[in-house]
Amino acid sequence: MPELPELDPVIHGKLRLALLSLLAGVEAGEFTWLRARTGATDGNLGAQLLKLEEAGYVAVKKKFVKRKPQSVYRITEAGRTALAEYVRALKRLLGAAIDV
Amino acid sequence: MADEGSTQEVRERLQLIESMIAEGRRQTERWGWTFLLWGIAFYVAMAWSWRGGVVSLWRSAAWAWPVTMVVACVLTVVIARWKGRAESITTAAVATGAIWICAGTSMLLVFPALGFSGRLDPHSFVALVGAILAIANGASGMIYKWRAQIACAVIWWATAVLACFGSAARATAVFLVAIFFCQILFGIYAMLLESRRGSRAGVARA
Repeated sequence: MPELPELDPVIHGKLRLALLSLLAGVEAGEFTWLRARTGATDGNLGAQLLKLEEAGYVAVKKKFVKRKPQSVYRITEAGRTALAEYVRALKRLLGAAIDV
Repeated sequence: MADEGSTQEVRERLQLIESMIAEGRRQTERWGWTFLLWGIAFYVAMAWSWRGGVVSLWRSAAWAWPVTMVVACVLTVVIARWKGRAESITTAAVATGAIWICAGTSMLLVFPALGFSGRLDPHSFVALVGAILAIANGASGMIYKWRAQIACAVIWWATAVLACFGSAARATAVFLVAIFFCQILFGIYAMLLESRRGSRAGVARA
């Protein structure tokens, strides 16, 4: 029986997975855009983005536009690699389940 | 049963990744207004430089094009800033933005140079504008797989070729028609699509 791959716990959270996937499709995305796409609350979204940032999977740039704070997030190379690894692991899991 | 459940969970996660990546790639920017603005700017410059059925590019009309184009550039920057940045920047948007900035820069550099050196005539002017706009529209249309914009590119290419033949009045007439279809009509069409897309997004979020 093939050894089942371990899933990255940072990405495994559904909201964090959704956020990383969203950012994988764009150059950059604002906090408000991520909130609208995921339907998450400000607090939860901020906490999950912080976890991704601490893991080095996303980078944030904070600035003021028309006197309003704006946080722009980008996926890092490490984040992109981790997401690709995660997808590969899921596919291996799926393959193993079908083999059974 | 547990295996079936976990297989379903894995499938759901893969679907989530796929749908989120697709969601991220959806265009959120609105640039239809720029086509309309530049179409109007072309018409204003043509009306200003109109001499006996052709677009005059020198003497009393020498300032018509530089002034109108600079004003249109300033208006584009001011309106774009006023509208604010898009909430997300897609790779496709960065690519098309680069194409249009380079096309615009080429026109803003080459035409004054040709004008001041006295080597610009209505034929070469319309042919060059048509060729440059065809490249920009064609590339953008191919990136977004947008047939309407590819059709605009075809019209601009036809304009560029037709401008090389016949009288200066005919080149001017062809240019007027191309501006109407590819700037005015296409700009209004793009704005309508964008406003529909905006209202759909509003409903989805509600």
